[in-house]
Amino acid sequence: MIYTIFKKELTDTLRDKRTLVMMLVIPILIFPVILNVFVSVSASFTAEAAEKTVKIGYVGSPDNYIYSHVQDLPESYGKKKMIQYKDTVKLKEDIKNDVVQIGLSSSSSIKEEMESKKPTNVIAFFNATDMGMQDRAKTYLKAVETIAQQERYLDLKLKESELTPIAVNYQNVASDKEMIGKMAGGILPYIFIAFGFIGCMYPAIDLFTGEKERGTIETLLTTPVLRWQILFGKMGVVVLSGLLAASCALIGLYLSIEVMNIVENEELLTVIKSVLNFKFLLMLYGLLIPLTVFFAGVMIPIAVYAKSFKEAQSIITPLNIIMVLPAMVGFFPGIELDLVTACIPVVNVVLATKELIAGTLDLGLLGLSFIIMISLAVIAVFVSYKRFDKETNIIL
Amino acid sequence: MIEITDLRKEFILSKQQRKELNTTEDKAIAVDGVSLTCQPGRIFSLLGPNGAGKTTTLRMISTIFKPTSGSINICGIDALKDPQEARRKMGFLTGATGLYARLTPNEIIKYFADLYSIPKEVYEPRKEKLYDLLDMHDFQSKRIGKLSTGMKQKVSICRTMIHDPEVVIFDEPTSGLDVITAENIIRLIRDCKEQGKTVIFSSHIMSEVDLLCDDMAIIHKGKMLFNGTMDEYRTNMQAENLTAEFIRIVNSSKEI
Repeated sequence: MIYTIFKKELTDTLRDKRTLVMMLVIPILIFPVILNVFVSVSASFTAEAAEKTVKIGYVGSPDNYIYSHVQDLPESYGKKKMIQYKDTVKLKEDIKNDVVQIGLSSSSSIKEEMESKKPTNVIAFFNATDMGMQDRAKTYLKAVETIAQQERYLDLKLKESELTPIAVNYQNVASDKEMIGKMAGGILPYIFIAFGFIGCMYPAIDLFTGEKERGTIETLLTTPVLRWQILFGKMGVVVLSGLLAASCALIGLYLSIEVMNIVENEELLTVIKSVLNFKFLLMLYGLLIPLTVFFAGVMIPIAVYAKSFKEAQSIITPLNIIMVLPAMVGFFPGIELDLVTACIPVVNVVLATKELIAGTLDLGLLGLSFIIMISLAVIAVFVSYKRFDKETNIIL
Repeated sequence: MIEITDLRKEFILSKQQRKELNTTEDKAIAVDGVSLTCQPGRIFSLLGPNGAGKTTTLRMISTIFKPTSGSINICGIDALKDPQEARRKMGFLTGATGLYARLTPNEIIKYFADLYSIPKEVYEPRKEKLYDLLDMHDFQSKRIGKLSTGMKQKVSICRTMIHDPEVVIFDEPTSGLDVITAENIIRLIRDCKEQGKTVIFSSHIMSEVDLLCDDMAIIHKGKMLFNGTMDEYRTNMQAENLTAEFIRIVNSSKEI
C-alpha cells in the first residue's frame, strides 16, 4: 500500500511544473551559473586590475627621493601615473572622489634625512573601499625602501647577508585538497542542504496541504489504507524530492567541470575531481538521507496543520532560514567537527562533509553525527504521524 | 446495512475557536445521541440545515472521524474496532470531493482499485462496465484538470463504485452541480438501490430527498428530530408541504 501511494504521489509530483523547476531545473543550473559568474567576475577583476593605471598624487617636488623612485619603478609593478599636488587637503579630497587612487606625502626634510642616513617619514593616503590600493601603495614603497636600503649598505660597505642572520623558510604541510576542503568545502554541503530543503518544500505542501485544500484527502481516508501508510507513502516522495534536488545540484557541479570546463584552476579541479568518488558520495548520502527525512518530518506537521497552500508556504519559508542558516557555519574556516558540533543538527552535516572533502574526517564523529540525525529524523517522523493522525488537522 | 446507536461527537475547542464562536465552553458537540438504521435496497436520507451535523455523522460512519461515544456497524462489522474492514464495504462521495488534476481518469481509477486491493481480473471488466455506463471512454486518458465538471463527476462516481461497495455514502453529492450533472448522481443513487446496496445521503434540499429516499432522519444542532420512513413523514405532516414541514420541525426544536 505504501508503494501504491508513493507511486501515485511521485507521478503527481513529477507532473507539477513548479515542483519540477524547484526540484530539477534550478539545482542543475545552480553550479554552472555560480561557477560561471565566479570565474568570469574573478577573471575580469584580475584583468582589470592588471590593466588599470593607478594615479598617484604626491605633495612636493618631483625630484624628491621617494617620488622619483616610485616614478622609475618598472611597469611590472603595475601601470601608474604620477600627479603633483600643492597640499594634502586637495590630495585627500581627490582620493575620496577617485580622481587619484594613492597619495604620497614625504617629510619636508627628506633630502637631509636621506643624506645623513636617518629614517624619513612618508604618509601614504588611500581609500580602503577602493580594493587593493593599500597593497599597491605598500608594494611601491617597499620597492623604494629596498632600493634605499641597498644604497646605504653600499655606502657603508656592509654585506646584506651579514645583516640578515636568520633566513626563515615557511613550508605548508597541508595538501591542496585539505586547504580547499577547509576553506571552501562548506559551500558544497550548504548548496546540498539548501536544495534538499527547497526540494522537500513544494511536494510537502502540495501532498498534504494541497490535498486537503483540493478536497481529495477525505476520499483517500475512506479507503482501507492505514493512516501511517498514507503518511509514509507521501513522506517517501517528499524525501525523494529533497534528495533529487540535492543530487541535481551535484549533477550540475559535474556538468560544470566535465562538460562545460568552467573551472580552469588546476588545483581546485584536482580537488573537486578527487572528492567526487564513490566513497565520498556514499558518505554524503549517508548524512543527507537522515537530514532530508528530518526536513520532511519538520515540514509535514506544518503542511498538515495549514489550511491553505499560502498559509503553509508562509510558515515553511521562514523555517528555511532557520534550518539552512546553520549550514553557513561551514563558511567559517575555524569551526571544526568535534563532540559539540557533531550534536548540532545541520551544522554536523555541513562540518562532516567539509572534513570529508578535506580528507580529515574522524569516523567516530561521523558516526555520532549520523546517530544524531537519525534520532532527529525518527522524532520528526513520529511528530508527523501524530499530526497526521489528528482528525481535525487533516480535514478542513 | 448501517446501524448506528447513540452516536456522539465532541470537538475540543482551541482558544481561537472559542473566540470565533463567542463561547466559554471548551468543547463543541457536533453530534448528540444519533441512532439510525439504513437497510439494504433502501435509500436513507439525512436531512438538516447547514451546520446540523450531517457531514460529521457521515464522516463518523465512513470512519474518517472517531466518535466520542456510540457504536457503528457496517454490514455486520464493528466500524470502531475494525475500521479497515468496514471501509472495504463502503463507497464515499461528496459534492466537495476533488480529484487529482494532474492524473488521468485511468490513473485515478487504477489507483483506487489498488488501494482496495482489487485483483486485475476483477478490475478490468468492472472498469469497462463502469466506463460504458458512464460513457467515459472518450476522456479516459485526458488529465482531470482539462475535463468539464460533468466529466469529473463521472470520474468521481466511477472511483466510488470501482470496488463495488455494499454501502454507499453520499455527502451532499449534488451541491454546486448543474441539473444535468446532478442527474448523473441521482441516477447512480437509484442504480445503487436497484442493486440492493445500502445508500445513505445527506442533503439540505427537501425536493431532492422527496425524489429519492425511502427513509429519512432530520437532524439539527447534532440532535435527531425525526427518524422514520418517508411515508410516515408525509402522513404525519402538519404543514402544507414537505419543505414547510421540515422548517416547522427545525423551528419547533429551537422553541424547546
